[in-house]
Amino acid sequence: MTPLIFAFKLLIAVPVALVLALTAIWYIWESGNTVLYDSFAQKMFAGLENYGLLAIPLFMLTGEMMNEGGMTGRLINAARVFVGGFRGGLAYINLLANMFMAAIIGSATAQIAVMARAMTPEMEKEGYDKGFAAATTAAGGLLAPVIPPSMMFVIYGVLAQVPIGEMFLAGILPGLLLASSFAAVIALIGFIQGFPKGDWFTRKEAISALLACLPAALIPIAIIGGILFGIATPTESAAIASLIAFLVGWLIYGELKPRSLLEMFRRTAVNASMIVFMIAAANVFGWVIIYEALPQKLAALITTVTSDPFMFLLIVNVILLLVGMLIDGIAAVILITPILLPIAMNDYSISPYQFGVVMCLNLVLGLLTPPVGVGLYIASSMSGASPGRILRSLWPFLLAVAAILVLLSRFPAISTALI
Amino acid sequence: MLGRASANWARVEMALAAAMAAAITLLILLNVATRSLGVALFWVDELAIYAMAWMTFLGASAALHYGHAVAVTILTDVLPRTIRTGAAILADLIVLIFALFMIWFCWRWFSPLELARQGFDTKAFQAATFNFIYAEPTTTLGIKKAWVWSVMWFFALGATLHSLANLFDRSDRARGAP
Amino acid sequence: EDFRIGLITPPQHIWTKAAEAFGTELAEASGGAHSLTVFPASQLGNESEMLQQLQTGALDMAFMTVAEVSNRARDFGAFYAPYLANDIEHAGQILRSDTAKSLLEQLPAEVGVVGTGYGMAGLRQIVSRGDITSAADLAGLKLRITPFEPILDFYNAFGAAPTPMPLPEVYDALANGQVDAIDMDAELIWVLKYYEQADTIVQSDHMMFPMVGLVSGKVWADMSGDDRAMVGELMAKHVDSTIDSYIEKEQGWLDQIAETGKTYTKVDESFFGDAVDKWNAIWSEKSAALDGLREVAADTAN
Ligand code: NA
Ligand code: NA
Repeated sequence: MTPLIFAFKLLIAVPVALVLALTAIWYIWESGNTVLYDSFAQKMFAGLENYGLLAIPLFMLTGEMMNEGGMTGRLINAARVFVGGFRGGLAYINLLANMFMAAIIGSATAQIAVMARAMTPEMEKEGYDKGFAAATTAAGGLLAPVIPPSMMFVIYGVLAQVPIGEMFLAGILPGLLLASSFAAVIALIGFIQGFPKGDWFTRKEAISALLACLPAALIPIAIIGGILFGIATPTESAAIASLIAFLVGWLIYGELKPRSLLEMFRRTAVNASMIVFMIAAANVFGWVIIYEALPQKLAALITTVTSDPFMFLLIVNVILLLVGMLIDGIAAVILITPILLPIAMNDYSISPYQFGVVMCLNLVLGLLTPPVGVGLYIASSMSGASPGRILRSLWPFLLAVAAILVLLSRFPAISTALI
Repeated sequence: MLGRASANWARVEMALAAAMAAAITLLILLNVATRSLGVALFWVDELAIYAMAWMTFLGASAALHYGHAVAVTILTDVLPRTIRTGAAILADLIVLIFALFMIWFCWRWFSPLELARQGFDTKAFQAATFNFIYAEPTTTLGIKKAWVWSVMWFFALGATLHSLANLFDRSDRARGAP
Repeated sequence: EDFRIGLITPPQHIWTKAAEAFGTELAEASGGAHSLTVFPASQLGNESEMLQQLQTGALDMAFMTVAEVSNRARDFGAFYAPYLANDIEHAGQILRSDTAKSLLEQLPAEVGVVGTGYGMAGLRQIVSRGDITSAADLAGLKLRITPFEPILDFYNAFGAAPTPMPLPEVYDALANGQVDAIDMDAELIWVLKYYEQADTIVQSDHMMFPMVGLVSGKVWADMSGDDRAMVGELMAKHVDSTIDSYIEKEQGWLDQIAETGKTYTKVDESFFGDAVDKWNAIWSEKSAALDGLREVAADTAN
């Protein structure tokens, strides 16, 4: 009964967050544990009491400042100097820029927010389909939690009691593999559909484009330097980045006025509250699910089916895909790790690093799968392309991730070789 | 009347939410600055997190007025107009039910009537009800957590106001009223 | 009845194992009338959330750090008196004393939970990026702590800059220098490899880290007298077993850390100068239990 009502509410366009909360309310009613109502509002609030979530509004603000201050445009202009003349150049720039950002940002949602706002209009201007532009950006965002640093690996490392530094190492090869597979997807789409061709800059244009972007380079330098030299945590580096973006946009480029700060904070509040509220609702939903020990019952079932680790991981992948449709990213990692990891390690002797990489990548994928796909909706709201339109271009990327997941499940060495 | 109240209140909510977004940024920058100077402040992280929570719940309530909230419209986009209006009214009704549930949860949680009955003596209140909401401390700020949690009332009441206004607006329009 | 118990520790942790053993024995002792589902790794929320769920009766039981409880019932802060225990066996003796047990009596009225008995984790140590020869070297340094009042007062007493930080961020923060040092127990220093990011490990043994077995006050009120006796006794037995586990394993972790080749120093109370006295002055005001526990400590010291 519960799944039917869930689907019905979703389909008549009740806001996703409220569907989650209402389903939790309904489920409590059905199970008779009405005592949970006394903790409901508190638990909803508690879903937000997480330091890592602060990165979401902060990176959104950075995106606002970089865009309004004319910084992203200049950065992309500079990148054009190098590959702009190739056919489909901007699509590859998008991917490369995402790889670069992934080495800075630890959260897929934050990265998608920054990049979608910046790249989609640029690509659209050059004649790319808006849906494809947003899809490329959203897929690129998946690199954020796989290429270190990664908020998700940190949380997994703690849950699994494995050192976080080594967990980061485990993500490097899979991250590169993922990026190459995305490049292959872009090449393939370009081959089939044909991309807009690019123009090379003249020498004079090239030099002025490079000079114009120099102040913008302060941001990645400040972020990486801030983290490496211990001045700031990754979350704090987002705040520093937004400060620098503001100062550069205001004092150097002269495109930002302090007056416009108000509007940027307002837009940040609109976009961030939308996403963070979904996390609050997902938290209370996951709490009810966990409280009824549904995942434990599910796990007990798997062990009766197979004794082969690869088969087990494939089954886990399918389950995680389904989980990822409903629960997003970090919340899902927190819910799933304690249930499945002991089975993986004890019953199938799977390395916790391999399991962590497979599980995290799979659940990151969930950010882009409807009905609950925060990353997809961020890409949509930041780019102005509807979720359906993005999905039409996104599925080849999702398939590529699925293929990588099978590889990662079959060959543990991809995850463990660097450790 | 209801519509105007909803619009005005949404404006207030968004102004507050924007102020909270600014507060988050300033607090996190303050954290970096004070820690570099060796005078790390103990309470900044917690305050920043609460600012984010306030921003979120105020923004989420306002989103009901502005129609910002993320929803799946794959089906409703292709429905014929009359059915679509019906679905929209039903969705508004479901949102209202949620908002009323939130009020009920807040009522059970904060038990304002029982607190008044105990003469606002929280010790007597928790002895009588076994509800410890007013004893809960914040970790570093030194204030009672109930003050921070009070945003849930703003959220519950705001969501009720906005969903009521949406519902009446939409059924008025469906009936062809001005 | 099917009870639920929540903990913050991961599945393989000693506390979680104890909770599982408690569940098994509870099922046996009740002839299958009761069962227990264990929710490890903060699945139901962090300790503060779990405590609130215990209060409403949404959660039946929890194994919880005394730190969380002491944020609500200040008397419990006395357990964190620096150098109250001489070593880990001594800490176990203090926790097993009648004086310690009598403190549990205030929990139902003050916090809305019933305390059945104490367990513990290892003693607190300091891991530092730089060389540390005395507490004066820590002055002005950013030092990560779990946020609760007694430990904050301790580090403030010798001028360190205590920085609260959730566990998931500690490894990176230490690696990058966002904090200069961390307050941690031997088990996690070894298992989560914090020593890798440090130059100096100071085995200071400066504080014990007790845990308490809790039952929701509301759930307790609905239990029959027989059930209360059975649940209370069995839970106390299994939280108590963690004391033996840590006494047995603590030295092994310390030895392994010492063998990593990092600078390893073992220090005593004098290392912290007058900080211990300062702490005692503050907390003799804050906690009515301090003097009683000091007497127990003196009586049980060997
Ligand atoms: Na990353
Ligand atoms: Na999803």
